[in-house]
Amino acid sequence: MLPRYRPRTFALELLMIFVALLFAYPVYVLVNLSLKTPHEIAEASIGPPSHLETANYSNAWNGAHLGAAMMNSTIITVASLVCLIMIGSTAAYYVARTQSKLSYGMYLLFLLGIVLPFQLALVPLYRFLTDTGLLGSYTSMVLFYTGLQIPFTIFLYAGFLRALPREYGEAALVDGANHWQSFTRVTFPLLRPVTGTVIILNAVFIWNDFLTPLIYLGGTPNETLPVVVYQFVGQYVSNWGYIFAAVVMASLPILVVFLLLQRYVIRGFTSGLKG
Amino acid sequence: METTHARTELIGKAAARPARRRRARQVGSPVLWFAAPAMAIYALIVLYPSLAGAYYAFTDWSGIGSAKWIGLENFKTLFRDEQSFGSLVNTLKLTAFIVVVQNAIGLALALAVHTRIKSRNVLRVLFFAPAVLSPVVIAFLWKYMLNPEPDAGLNAMLGFLGLGFLQQNWLGDPSVALWAIGLTVVWQFAGFSMVIFLAALQGIPRELEEAAAIDGAGRFQRLHRIVLPLIAPAMTINLTLSTIGGLKLFDQVFAITNGGPGYSTETLSTLIYKQAFVFGAYGYSTAVALVLTLLVAGLALLQVRYLQGREVTY
Amino acid sequence: MFSWSTHAGARARRVGAAFLVAAIAALLAACGSGTQDKSDNGSSNGGGGGPKVTLTLKSITDAKVAWEPLIAAYKRVAPNVTIDASYAPTDQLQTALRAQLGTGNAPDLFVDWPGNGSAMSVQQLAPSGLIADISDQGWTKQVPDGVKPLLGANGKTYMWSPGATPIGIIYNKQVFKQVGIAEEPKTWSELLADAQKIKAAGKIPFAVGNQTPWVTQLLPYAIAPSTAFAVDPNLAQDMLDGEKSFTNSDWHTVYDRYIELYKRGLFNKSPNGTTYEQTQQLLGSGKAAMVVQVIAAMPPFLSAAKNKDDIGTFPFPAADSADALKIPAGVDAGIAASAKGKHLAEAKKFIEWLGRPENMASFSKATYSIPLVGADPAKTDPLLKPFAPFMASNKTVPFMDQQWPNAKVQPAHFAGVQDLVAGKTDVGALLKKLDEAYQQK
Repeated sequence: MLPRYRPRTFALELLMIFVALLFAYPVYVLVNLSLKTPHEIAEASIGPPSHLETANYSNAWNGAHLGAAMMNSTIITVASLVCLIMIGSTAAYYVARTQSKLSYGMYLLFLLGIVLPFQLALVPLYRFLTDTGLLGSYTSMVLFYTGLQIPFTIFLYAGFLRALPREYGEAALVDGANHWQSFTRVTFPLLRPVTGTVIILNAVFIWNDFLTPLIYLGGTPNETLPVVVYQFVGQYVSNWGYIFAAVVMASLPILVVFLLLQRYVIRGFTSGLKG
Repeated sequence: METTHARTELIGKAAARPARRRRARQVGSPVLWFAAPAMAIYALIVLYPSLAGAYYAFTDWSGIGSAKWIGLENFKTLFRDEQSFGSLVNTLKLTAFIVVVQNAIGLALALAVHTRIKSRNVLRVLFFAPAVLSPVVIAFLWKYMLNPEPDAGLNAMLGFLGLGFLQQNWLGDPSVALWAIGLTVVWQFAGFSMVIFLAALQGIPRELEEAAAIDGAGRFQRLHRIVLPLIAPAMTINLTLSTIGGLKLFDQVFAITNGGPGYSTETLSTLIYKQAFVFGAYGYSTAVALVLTLLVAGLALLQVRYLQGREVTY
Repeated sequence: MFSWSTHAGARARRVGAAFLVAAIAALLAACGSGTQDKSDNGSSNGGGGGPKVTLTLKSITDAKVAWEPLIAAYKRVAPNVTIDASYAPTDQLQTALRAQLGTGNAPDLFVDWPGNGSAMSVQQLAPSGLIADISDQGWTKQVPDGVKPLLGANGKTYMWSPGATPIGIIYNKQVFKQVGIAEEPKTWSELLADAQKIKAAGKIPFAVGNQTPWVTQLLPYAIAPSTAFAVDPNLAQDMLDGEKSFTNSDWHTVYDRYIELYKRGLFNKSPNGTTYEQTQQLLGSGKAAMVVQVIAAMPPFLSAAKNKDDIGTFPFPAADSADALKIPAGVDAGIAASAKGKHLAEAKKFIEWLGRPENMASFSKATYSIPLVGADPAKTDPLLKPFAPFMASNKTVPFMDQQWPNAKVQPAHFAGVQDLVAGKTDVGALLKKLDEAYQQK
């Protein structure tokens, strides 16, 4: 890091602001289109709308029952995250701290999950959930996402744990604590930065997932946001103003979560790695 | 920093009791049941169904009705199929593009944001924000912007910036379409790579760089000899994730071009999907999926081994 | 001993508490939702009208505007039956339904496509016994003979369809006026002449949106009835019987003419890069004069225009004389009942009710189609009027994919047309590729 704010730094600042504007251009287009009428969208100009068609937002909200869908998405996402963090971090702890053929084999087995295409398990899993009567419930989705994202979560946790010095956890063990206590009271709090990363990355994936909720929850009152937003997308006829308005509203919660977490994540990374 | 303080305290306390009755307790390994719940759910939701699903690769199942065992027929067809080979080539090309460009831009952004510029907090959020949007929405947006007319979308912006010569028939030109898709993916995830690089950058003690600067090392030398080696773990993570992500990429390709124009953007993932749900050849699609799995697993394993060997700890 | 009172401990405690609360909330919600679902799908003896039944209906977004009034009307007819309808985009819905059908767990009523040629076509689904036979319903007897086979397989009827929609030319009247075209072209040579005039005036004669795969087939479908199918009116069946094929027939004329239009510069500059939505923009803004489209796609073209009255339609004049003209008209996607549905009898009753002329008319009106049964010429939408005589006098050919034997030919057709325009293949090679796909199981 440069110690002083030099003219060169100011030049860099200007350059980065310009780059950021370029980067943000598609997002500008998204918000722009969400406030236009169908006729204006057909005009395809890049300028702002002549008047703000906020009716797109209210119509999309009511027409798609976005409120209920947002609730469904939130419940499923939060429950899945809780499960993932609890069982993912403990499994990663075992894998990273135990030097044995079994633990290494387990680790590779988990990693296999990151690589498997979703089509393989699609039909048998759907059959299983239908037979157990869980289809259409939150439970089926939480089970699904936890199982699906466990490999990625363990990958993140284990990677970080390997870089974390063992002394702190071991000090607690020497003090008479058992592994569970050592983990929950010493090691896990030190994993704060990676927990933040796990939350944000998994939350984004689960929040935006479309196909599985369509197959498992379609037609029930438990539909998630992507399912209700995409019901506006037709082959012949699509109301793009509604769709983009719905997308803006659907993306806001996740963006807010990221905003809140990112300071926590970045700050935590610093302290964690320096330790 | 509070946590460092707490840990120091802890170590101090541990060190300060040598004489006391310390249990001769082996600092053993965590018990197996730490991993049991994860393994249980993983086996139930992923392993067993995938294994059961893999069975279809050896049948002629169309997706509905009955399945007849046909052994290795699907695999034989796969290796003779021109279209599969073309899809494999496209998949590899697209992945290479994404891995190189996304991480290069991500690193550049991280280095730029890791300076004293005042707007670095806002910039961090702005660059990461696209990763938060659903890939299908991104596809709609970019299709709208990749209009071939010179006075619309991205072409209009290029013209406005005086870069008119860069205007393209983005999605209609078979030699450009694949890279156009790569561009949208890079745009979406460069900020993601940036965040991971940033985390590693912030872990490098300032003293190291300052010492090197005092010793007369130039900025490029500092970057090459000190910064890059020390952020190697982040490099490993980013390269591995983008490789796996690129090889498996589906939503963006399907939603933007559906494999077209012609077959110029057909990838293994879109092929697998189409065989299963559009052509009514679910068994064959599973065979392709298994081959893709082997490919991805093999490449990822090689990559991780190579990269982890080069990581430097300090 | 490590205590909870240090900073790290406090933070851990707060985080732990938050997780605990979230976990409890999630568990409660999970339990709660379970019961909610179970009660929805049960049937109990309610008040008058018979036992309460809920039917699930899944259809495509395009049909939502047509289903909603009918579902509301049926509630008044049969108050004990509730229809739970949900809609999704066509591609993803096909995936979801295939997955559900593959595990024997389909909705009570779901969208189905007529004829053959796609993974969700009625003739692909019927052999596996997954959809219910409705041949005994009264309305099926009134469906025109040419259309009836497309609604089922092996002489039996398995699905309901509201009507048929033609492919024609949607055009911008203002552009025609500006260029000085007084009358719509009625023959192939008139069409070419008018298109040249439009081009000379600096406008785009045809806006072609080949970037969107399903658009690629429309122009060939518009040309084929008056060329390949004029030479052999029984061409579809002859191909199924193996007597003719893409190569061994007059199909090449279709693509020769297609390429002729392209080579003369009568398309927009980059057809392969232009999407369906962008063709709406081009036509609505007056930059382009004509678009070859399914008339069911009319609504967005109307919204894109400055003035709805600027938009008109006429049949694609693919023949050398006006009398010889035949147009493509396809039976719409409709609905089928799951053979394994829990409430099959009620589902069938709903389909029977849909078969009434007024209900068919209601659905067709919303989707710019002409009803299969009891079409009233007086009530035809003005934009459909140019096509009505053809449909009434059987001068139509069904959309060709509805009579192809498997689901591989249509995607090969999409990609092939794109390659043709990109110059990566020629007409002969394209026809060969189509034949290869046709021969597959």
